[in-house]
Amino acid sequence: MPALPLEEAGKYVAGAYVVFAALIVVYVAIMAAKLQRIERELRELARFAEQGSPGTPGREAEDVPVDSAQPPADSDRNLTPSESVGGAAERVRGGS
Amino acid sequence: MYGKGLKPLSIATVAALAVSLSLVFFYAPLDADQGFVQKIFYLHVPLAIVALLGFVAGGVFAILHLRSGDARWDAYSYVSIHMSVIFGVAVLATGSIWAKASWGHWWVWDEPTLVSFLIVFLMYATYYPFRYAIEDRDRQARYASVFAIVAGAFVPLNFTAVRLAESLVHPRVFATTGGGLPGEMMLTFLASLAAIGLLWVTLVKFELTAKSASGQLKRLRRALDAPAPGGSSRVAPEVG
Repeated sequence: MPALPLEEAGKYVAGAYVVFAALIVVYVAIMAAKLQRIERELRELARFAEQGSPGTPGREAEDVPVDSAQPPADSDRNLTPSESVGGAAERVRGGS
Repeated sequence: MYGKGLKPLSIATVAALAVSLSLVFFYAPLDADQGFVQKIFYLHVPLAIVALLGFVAGGVFAILHLRSGDARWDAYSYVSIHMSVIFGVAVLATGSIWAKASWGHWWVWDEPTLVSFLIVFLMYATYYPFRYAIEDRDRQARYASVFAIVAGAFVPLNFTAVRLAESLVHPRVFATTGGGLPGEMMLTFLASLAAIGLLWVTLVKFELTAKSASGQLKRLRRALDAPAPGGSSRVAPEVG
């Protein structure tokens, strides 16, 4: 098949590059939506952790004003995710 | 952890893509046979190479998962395959456009390169239903790893079989005899390959970072006994 003239070929080349760009943009948009959902869930979780679930002893902590509350001794320690998650769970469940 | 270095990697990827596009349209000479349409080659072929290498990488990560039992490797394998399937869609789309421009048909069934890539793509498309059909997370990861290894081994075999098959239709730019790409075209091609490779790595890292954040959020929710939001029922691999 002979080579297409530039005007004709340009449409195909543009089409190929636009399809590729569109695919990447769609992927990034989906990932952005995912990250937004994670951020929203994280905000909800932070609110939940601050308030404590109804009926759990962890609510007693709410009585302490935030400004006067002393940070735990290890608050500035670099906790691993499991340590920090485990510690938070214990505080909420056990209330101590 | 996975997000470390993502910003410089993203910047490097954007720069590499910009350089490769500049080379494609302002440096590489026009092909004597195909003319301007041949510019699709600098997108289509690197995408295909990176997608196929990504499938093989998925198999290698799966081997590491089965050897160590570390769920991280399963996540790497899953994300590698996932990203390569997305790249595979781009390969098929750009290939069809190139075929229409060069051969006058969107698809040619008697061309081994096209059909073999389609077979590989469809095989990996079954990875998702196969994976999500298994609810138990450990079993799911093990079975998915076995699939990734077998399919990953099939990719180079398939490639070799196609190379051995004689075909005069599909252009062989890296032919061992009868010449190959001239210098400027080769440089442009290598720049495009590097840019697409970087894009693949960046998107894999991006996906792993999102999965890691999502996994840690789930762990936090479980630890806090928080009510779960209405999420999907899919059991995707979690990275901590």
